[in-house]
Amino acid sequence: MVDQLPNLGRESEMLSAMGMESMDELFADIPDEVRMNATLPLPGPQSEEEILADARRLLGANVALSQRVSFLGAGLYRNFVPSAVFQLINRGEFLTAYTPYQPEVSQGMLQAMWEFQSMVADLVGLPISNVSVYDGSTAAAEALTCAVRVHNRKALQKDTVWVSGLIPPDRMSVIHNYTQGGGIEVKTLKHNEDGTLDLASAARASGSCGVYVEQPNPFGILDEGLTGLKEILGENTALIVGVQPTSLGIIEAPGEYGADIVVGEGQPLGSPLTFGGPVYGIFACKEAYLRQMPGRIVGRSVDSKGREAYCLTLSTREQHIRRHRATSNICTNETLIALMGAMHMALLGPEGIRDLAIRNMAACQSLKAQIEDTPRLSLLHPDAAHYNEFAISLPGKAADALRYLDEYGIIGGLDLSTWYSEMTNQLLVCATDQTSSEDIDSLVRHLGHWAKEVKG
Amino acid sequence: MSHLHTHQGAEGTGYAQPSPLASAETLNIPDGLRRQRLPALPRLSEPEVVRHYTWLSTRNFGIDTGFYPLGSCTMKHNPRVNEVIAQLPGIADIHPLQPESHLQGLLCIFYEMQEMLATCSGMDAVTLQPVAGAQGEFTAIRCIQEYHRMIGQDGRTKVIVPDSAHGTNPASAAMAGYEIVEIPSAEDGRLDLEALRTAVGDDTAAMMITNPNTLGIFEPDIAEASQIVHDAGGQMYYDGANFNAILGKTSPGLMGFDAVHYNLHKTFAQPHGGGGPGSGPIGVKKHLVDFLPGPIAKRVPLRKDEPETEVSDAWRYHWWRPSKSIGKVQQWHGNAGAIIRSWAFYRRYGNELETMTEHAVLNANYLRHRITSEAESQGVADSFNDGAPADVVKHEFTLSLAPLKEAKGVGAMDVAKGLLDHGYMAPTVYFPLVVPECVMVEPTETESKEVLDAFAANFVKVLQEDAETLHAAPKSTPVGRVDEVHAARNLWLKHDTEQEE
Repeated sequence: MVDQLPNLGRESEMLSAMGMESMDELFADIPDEVRMNATLPLPGPQSEEEILADARRLLGANVALSQRVSFLGAGLYRNFVPSAVFQLINRGEFLTAYTPYQPEVSQGMLQAMWEFQSMVADLVGLPISNVSVYDGSTAAAEALTCAVRVHNRKALQKDTVWVSGLIPPDRMSVIHNYTQGGGIEVKTLKHNEDGTLDLASAARASGSCGVYVEQPNPFGILDEGLTGLKEILGENTALIVGVQPTSLGIIEAPGEYGADIVVGEGQPLGSPLTFGGPVYGIFACKEAYLRQMPGRIVGRSVDSKGREAYCLTLSTREQHIRRHRATSNICTNETLIALMGAMHMALLGPEGIRDLAIRNMAACQSLKAQIEDTPRLSLLHPDAAHYNEFAISLPGKAADALRYLDEYGIIGGLDLSTWYSEMTNQLLVCATDQTSSEDIDSLVRHLGHWAKEVKG
Repeated sequence: MSHLHTHQGAEGTGYAQPSPLASAETLNIPDGLRRQRLPALPRLSEPEVVRHYTWLSTRNFGIDTGFYPLGSCTMKHNPRVNEVIAQLPGIADIHPLQPESHLQGLLCIFYEMQEMLATCSGMDAVTLQPVAGAQGEFTAIRCIQEYHRMIGQDGRTKVIVPDSAHGTNPASAAMAGYEIVEIPSAEDGRLDLEALRTAVGDDTAAMMITNPNTLGIFEPDIAEASQIVHDAGGQMYYDGANFNAILGKTSPGLMGFDAVHYNLHKTFAQPHGGGGPGSGPIGVKKHLVDFLPGPIAKRVPLRKDEPETEVSDAWRYHWWRPSKSIGKVQQWHGNAGAIIRSWAFYRRYGNELETMTEHAVLNANYLRHRITSEAESQGVADSFNDGAPADVVKHEFTLSLAPLKEAKGVGAMDVAKGLLDHGYMAPTVYFPLVVPECVMVEPTETESKEVLDAFAANFVKVLQEDAETLHAAPKSTPVGRVDEVHAARNLWLKHDTEQEE
């Protein structure tokens, strides 16, 4: 503490300059009836060295995915973020800046965010990107409310949106919280046995304000049928597609098949898992949604001498100007993590992001091939193409399999009954660019052994 | 100028990667989903990327660069050990879907943070899930909404906010579906109890207010205000943006609040990162606990037959999900990285957090005093008024530059730009809206007396500069005054080779 407060020990000098004698006088305006008079019942202060030692001990007791063989994904993906990103991000000029309300001294972050917007927009195939929202789930939720603001007047299904029935419950819960205040009804779209969207029933969503689907979907399936969805929905229903951004190195940009808004969990680009936060939400859209979109946007402009300069723009959508009529309550966002994403994209380049996508999909496909060849294990969706992850049907409970694998130092994936209670015997496994063939061999060997032994 | 997109190295330029486990040709990408053209990213080698972003950083002002007196934002120093801790594999490489047995250290830190925040604010339980202050507001308002629904008070459709409130307050309540009732501040900038009495009724769901208010003034009648709202059947919500002013001196619980959010990026030194990430946990009183988003960290004593863990020889930590939870506001368990940093910050002060508060308030009052006396000695004391009359302020203060505007056409924004030329970040301007030509200054506890003295002298110097100079300011910054109107009228939101030519 002593090393954090420059005026410690000089209180009386400063107080006397103001004609005061004690610190208490500074708090004389707080009425006695609400004063806290005792010392806070907390442990005493620590030095940096003691804090670091405690942090190392406590965090060291966590099991890091990097220390194990791991196949856990389900929305967050192990990746390798190049070292330069971590070095650059810790530059104090970025790290310790506030939102760039004074553009003349914030050109660095403003330009970096404008470049981020440029790269994200191109990646997803849309003209506009903001500088991030909180995460993939709030991006999806904000996209749905945005779609209602844009389309509700002409919508045949007023205040109604449709969402893929495969969306995991936690993401659905966020969507519910964000939409219930506006009286928006969220209906669910059906899927076929093979895990793809039931396009025939999706026609029922035409005339609603918006439809939210994911590509790849929560079972890792690349659903080709989604490329025909916009035509089914029509002009007055927003097609919102959630993406895993690295997949777009090889998978078609949703903007190219009619998406009006593309959202996604940005984490695989630029950010470690960090226990799911801070990560960043991608939000990109067509021009028709621009004035109803949430979050900050950087525009390129000129300064007083006509020189190129950047500033925040279209702020009249935002809470600090529009208050209760704002398009969203978002203020603080995830700029620094988005900056990590920008740096990662800049380091990768066009071929780099393509190769990264290939590595992710190749690892998934290799794992899939070996699982398929293992007795008593089968794929839940054997005919589908997958990116990162897929579901395995087991001869016993997924929870038991995970416990068994844990004993061998393997984090086996997600017990799908966590999401869908009836799926007790299904396991969602994930392979990424960080998955080695040794990892795959190890999982297949142990899971195969468990499957052989288990009664089912 | 250096543009990222002007870097176009040869094909294949970019981060070198190991070979894939299967060749690209063998991937079963559905034909209709095969990307037709490569993403149009620039092509840079690592040295070019490092130099580009380093150059950009030199065109950005952070707390590390200089004094950052941005009112309402609490721009305090960000201790660097926190960054070291946040990159340890035990936080960087863990996944929220791992079993509790893999997460005992994290659960322990979450538990400690929940307990600390509850203790400091006089609340009964805390969830760390909301990832920003505004999201904390929204979350707490949702909890209040479900509480009212449960007790058959669905008719409570209105949320009261003072006209000096942060914009997020009405925006968050509106997102939850509430009608906003804005009540005017009294003449002296304080809460007007009469206006509050008129506003409350059996349709009042809650009042949202920060204390000290956005003028930096402690609301002396806060307990009575709580009573008025409670008597009408409403709930009191504390906007914790200004918690740095009162921690250890009073608490939202003592003032009668039912729910509160904390800005870990303000009070607990999570770096602001140019706009985020933040973290906005909330605390609530008993009657709202069951509605909180889960999971929340809890602990139980180890059974006799249970082995000690690396974390504790007495406790086993676990997740708890409240029974009537509103559900989730973020997919995972909050901004854990920010929570870890804030935990490290808290540990530095421990039970002496009050000292942090004292120094924040000492610095604010000292700077206010220095500006006033400097202005008097230079004969320009008539160029501004107090934003609100007060013997003492808390962590920040406001000045109205209306007299200066009147006298020579120099407004708050001009002074802000003038300060940039003296090497300072500008204070917050034009907020709160109730103060004309408002300048809002918050020095925080981590600035030295010398910095405050020099700022006061320079601030008064700027007030004395002629209008022409200030209208043309800033001159010494990487670019001159940026044309925000041009930006809004000629929207140019991404790289476009044609447009650039």
